[in-house]
Amino acid sequence: MKTIPGSARQRWRLKLGAALLAVGFAATPVLAQEDVPDVGEQVPITALINASPWFSGFEAAVALYEEQTGNVVELDVTPYSGMLEKARNAVRGAESTHQLLNIDGGWTVEFYEAGTLTPLNEIDPEFKLPQEVFACGETHWWNAAKRWRTPDGGALYGVPPNCNTHMQVYRTDIFEQAKLTPPVTVDDVAVSCKAVQAASGLYGYVTRGERGSIRFEWSPYLLAHGADIAADMENGDYTVTINSPQALTALTKFLDILKGCGPDNVAALTQNDVIQLMAAGKAAEIQVVVAAMSSLTDPAKSVVAGKLGAVPNPIVDGRKLPSPIGNWSLAIPQNISKEQKEAALAFLKWFVSKPAQEAYVEAGGVPVRADVLEPLADQPDYFWVKAYLSNLDGAVSPFGYAEAAEVNEVLGLRLNQALIGELSPTAALNTAAAEIEAIFRKTGRKTGRLPDLAE
Amino acid sequence: MSVSSAILDDAERPVRAFRRKQLFRRVALLPAVIMLVLLTVVPMLNLFAMALAEISVSRGQTEWVFRPLANLSLLLDDTQFLTATLNTLLFTVLSVSVELVLGIGLALLAASVRRGKGWIRTVTILPILVSPVAIGAMWRLIYSYDFGPLNQILEAFGLAKVGWLSETSIALLSVVVVDVWHWTPLVFLILFAGVEGLPREVIEAARIDGANRRQLLRHIVLPLLAPAIAVAFIFRSIAAFKVFDQIVLLTGGGPGTATEVLSLRLYKVFFEQNIMGYGALLSVVTIAMILAFLLTARFSLRWLEARNA
Repeated sequence: MKTIPGSARQRWRLKLGAALLAVGFAATPVLAQEDVPDVGEQVPITALINASPWFSGFEAAVALYEEQTGNVVELDVTPYSGMLEKARNAVRGAESTHQLLNIDGGWTVEFYEAGTLTPLNEIDPEFKLPQEVFACGETHWWNAAKRWRTPDGGALYGVPPNCNTHMQVYRTDIFEQAKLTPPVTVDDVAVSCKAVQAASGLYGYVTRGERGSIRFEWSPYLLAHGADIAADMENGDYTVTINSPQALTALTKFLDILKGCGPDNVAALTQNDVIQLMAAGKAAEIQVVVAAMSSLTDPAKSVVAGKLGAVPNPIVDGRKLPSPIGNWSLAIPQNISKEQKEAALAFLKWFVSKPAQEAYVEAGGVPVRADVLEPLADQPDYFWVKAYLSNLDGAVSPFGYAEAAEVNEVLGLRLNQALIGELSPTAALNTAAAEIEAIFRKTGRKTGRLPDLAE
Repeated sequence: MSVSSAILDDAERPVRAFRRKQLFRRVALLPAVIMLVLLTVVPMLNLFAMALAEISVSRGQTEWVFRPLANLSLLLDDTQFLTATLNTLLFTVLSVSVELVLGIGLALLAASVRRGKGWIRTVTILPILVSPVAIGAMWRLIYSYDFGPLNQILEAFGLAKVGWLSETSIALLSVVVVDVWHWTPLVFLILFAGVEGLPREVIEAARIDGANRRQLLRHIVLPLLAPAIAVAFIFRSIAAFKVFDQIVLLTGGGPGTATEVLSLRLYKVFFEQNIMGYGALLSVVTIAMILAFLLTARFSLRWLEARNA
């Protein structure tokens, strides 16, 4: 493997890690040889991959692939902010520079609609995702006729490297001292965050409030209240419902929690800030995506490692509704040779195999196979697995339509304005609804919107 | 050959030589002109064409549909564009004003030092050498609400912490401070060269005539420095108008629209929302604004020169 950015020392350490993993698997030959698919000799490929907290796991898995198969995978490690442009440049050129593209679930529709990715069954008609692989919001399927991401009549376009759901992570020691149980409902969160804040002096509840992320952080609350952005997008009804009374309740409670229990600068908090506040021991509870767990549980990075617990997203009225998911999809571009497509698919087949996923989790990744993740649920080091599995069950990707980038921009701004007090929650939702309706109207969707909420 | 034609030939020889030289000069310039056209004019024309179209990508091919009114309509409906324009103007005026005042002060101070001017110059320009990403990371940490040294100092004095990047009334000023820290050294460098080049005899003559420091500065030094100040002003104004990296790295345009600037709006439309035609129109509008500013600055300077003369 050749990792484009990174020192020779890092690469050497990685090779050593891969060798140790390989030795580990060799010591358990039944496990190692049982499920690894024989992918044969393949041409070298380059994968576009993001420098996210779970990257070390992916890197180790790739090193093991090279060790076991002799095939070469070069990694183009790129910060999140550069991923979309690199992926677009790859598929728009005469021939892609990358044979595997890791695409954020929120961007996939743009690539599907432009016809720039290869359906995996076009390369190998026999290929099927193992049934143990999580649905991950089904973002890697595309039904072109319906313009919707679904396996129902859709083609498989990729493989998820992770299924990124939120979870509520809390300090077990602080909650015990305050004689509090971890929150189950949205109202529990509101009460316990204030109580734990008063008892400990730490921030009671922290999550991202900055413009680019707040709509995703709010979405567990939105979906838990049975509300959504539009009426029935899967079946073509884009009537905007973001200004429903349920959405208003979800927003009012979310803002109450953030303002009452978060830092004063919550409107500027990014994911790194949230992780940093928990890792430095300044927060009693945070809402964070599962990808952050490797940073929080590493004693070298976190003073609270070993003191954390996790619960699923809060519910309302005793009903468990779908949680939002914001995962990635490893996909293969159209504009590469047949041999390169086969080589890219060979890696994907290997990657979703059980031994590969075991190597992945061992090195800090979050596996996408149930038979790898579920046995870990009772181990103290994997305290988050039960909450994660609960959130994964029926998780949905809330921004899976062509106009998502524009809608996200509108929603992010208006929610952030509500958080800083520039708009009331009612005005924020009414304004967002009118703007989102205009976006859907411009693209020819069947749309409209609910009557404005009264102030 | 007759005598008359020989005389004519003699008369035409220098003319021919001059024409040959002219031709050679033009031919020699041709590669540079071709490169300029290819690298500047063609992309500009392409940008103008994009601004008149709706552009999409399908099967690896871009598809253009000529719809200039559609992009114009998006511009008229874009409330964030107006906010971004106002924020950009405010940012430019604040940062360039402070940078000029500090730059002039530093240049005069450094010029008045007898020894170690080289050291002062080297140390002062260090911020220019730091990459924007490193500057963003450094200042983000300085401004950090919970971990930053600024708030730790405030707390040590028993004062409340400040949301340097999260309060709408402060966020833009916080970014201005970073811009001033980063680019005042460039203004200093330009003006220091100007101060060092001032005619000493004029200043000495004014001193002999009894001018005090303030009079010297106001009536002699600043008017003589005016061309250098104009260069620094124009360079910095253009760059400040295009501010992008500091905003992205520090605030992302928030909170709300407090630090939304034109370049960021353009980036979001073009690269995040993938609306290429409208993004191109925003680029054209931004270029037009900078041109209008430059022309205004040029006429203002001429007017000032004429008035002083």
